[in-house]
Amino acid sequence: MTSKAIEELKRRRQGEFKKKNSQIPYAVIVTAISLIIYTICIKLNHHSTFWMIGLLFGITLQRSRFCFAASFRDPILVGSTAILKAILIALIVSTIGFTIVEYASIGDAGELDKIRTLGQVYPVGLHTVIGAIMFGIGMVIAGGCASGFLMRIGEGFLLQVVVLFGFLMGALVGTWQFEFWDKILISKAPTVFFPDYVDFPIATIVQVIVLVALYYVADWYDKKNNIMVM
Amino acid sequence: MSGKFILKKQNKSIYLFRYKRFVTQRKGGEVLKNHDRILKKPWPYMVGGSILAILNIILFILTDKVWRVTSGVVHLGAYVLEKIGLRPSEWYYFSQNTGEGLGTGEMFIYNPYIIMNAAIIVGALLSTLWASEFKWKRIKSGKQFVFALLGGFLMGYATRLSFGCNIGGYFSAIPSFSLHGWVFALFMFVGAWVGSKILIKYLLT
Amino acid sequence: MAEVRLDCMYEACPIPLLKAHKKLQQMEIGDVLILETDHNCSIKNVVDWVKKQGHNVDYIELNEGEWEIYIEKAK
Repeated sequence: MTSKAIEELKRRRQGEFKKKNSQIPYAVIVTAISLIIYTICIKLNHHSTFWMIGLLFGITLQRSRFCFAASFRDPILVGSTAILKAILIALIVSTIGFTIVEYASIGDAGELDKIRTLGQVYPVGLHTVIGAIMFGIGMVIAGGCASGFLMRIGEGFLLQVVVLFGFLMGALVGTWQFEFWDKILISKAPTVFFPDYVDFPIATIVQVIVLVALYYVADWYDKKNNIMVM
Repeated sequence: MSGKFILKKQNKSIYLFRYKRFVTQRKGGEVLKNHDRILKKPWPYMVGGSILAILNIILFILTDKVWRVTSGVVHLGAYVLEKIGLRPSEWYYFSQNTGEGLGTGEMFIYNPYIIMNAAIIVGALLSTLWASEFKWKRIKSGKQFVFALLGGFLMGYATRLSFGCNIGGYFSAIPSFSLHGWVFALFMFVGAWVGSKILIKYLLT
Repeated sequence: MAEVRLDCMYEACPIPLLKAHKKLQQMEIGDVLILETDHNCSIKNVVDWVKKQGHNVDYIELNEGEWEIYIEKAK
């Protein structure tokens, strides 16, 4: 949606600036270096897949301006759930994908246990609540979550290097004090893995249904256009 | 720093001249438009999210590991601490969480997520450079600096309580059918609400 | 018709969006807000949100990684 006034302004301002410099030569150099690192990783047998998929993660995050922090913040702050809806779609895709991986591994392992042993299955309890609230506050005031600050360092944000430094310090202090939290909360908390309670296919179907329902809730909320009072 | 000024009334002939220039620019602009579409135009969020999910599944298939970020940061930090003479390997955390992937005699630096985090930075750099949109963005104020450091610290500390950031504790945890991913997501909204209040009160001036 | 300039250089999300929202509330219909930003996310984040609010909006890139977003208050 544009208008006459905006078109006029665009033309006026565009004329005032000389041609932009192309950064493509640098892009070619960095692409070449990344591919060289990839081949070195293959030769040394050192996590080459992580390097390649990491590059693709970085490109995707940057090109789609994907921001996990915004997915939680924008619904509250400006009533927009565009990224939240995209994440819900992504969770539906990965729920189905992880299930397929689980079933595809029946042949080699002989039992259905890939997600439990290799996925992100951890105790749930008060520590999760405290951690989530702290994380939520931190990511909003820092202007990005963990994947967000990595992506923005790549865009040239020096501020996000500070966030990374703070994150590193916080993570180390947290790791050092882990014994305290583990003894008072985490070791007593249960690990709830849904397929322990219902059959695996049912867990998948129910989870997808819940995610689809949440998608519609998010869509409805977006249309309400709630904006936090300032 | 906002100034207010009234636009001068434009002469009709100038309008016409500008319109003609606009039309000719358009003709030459078609090539540029294609170039922009491939290298610059942001992808829709849905496309981005779906690709991230598919990449996560491919990573799981190829390496038996799911996408995590903090694990790499923690291990990089532990490696640095080790280099300056401390002994983080004796910490309770590393003795408890054998799932962190540190085998006997292995060093912290071997953690695959360190490489992956570096790759995410390089990948974002690549994407920005191909779009010719790279710019060093300096830190604007002391306040910005303090909030960035504080926010980073809070996030970093929180990941040890909730087993991951919103990648490991949420984006990979919910598809792993673990309840902690759902609880984490729910209370992230509470945290984001508090954070938004702080942001409006202290940062938006 | 007035033009209002808003400097959001070096600001991270969501500050540009919040500043734009605040400014738009003070403006008259037909006024144009010029938002200067160097945040790659803003050209999607701000533009999408302003569109949703029903205003006219477009942007151009002036230098590498520096944009001006033009918002005409429509209602």
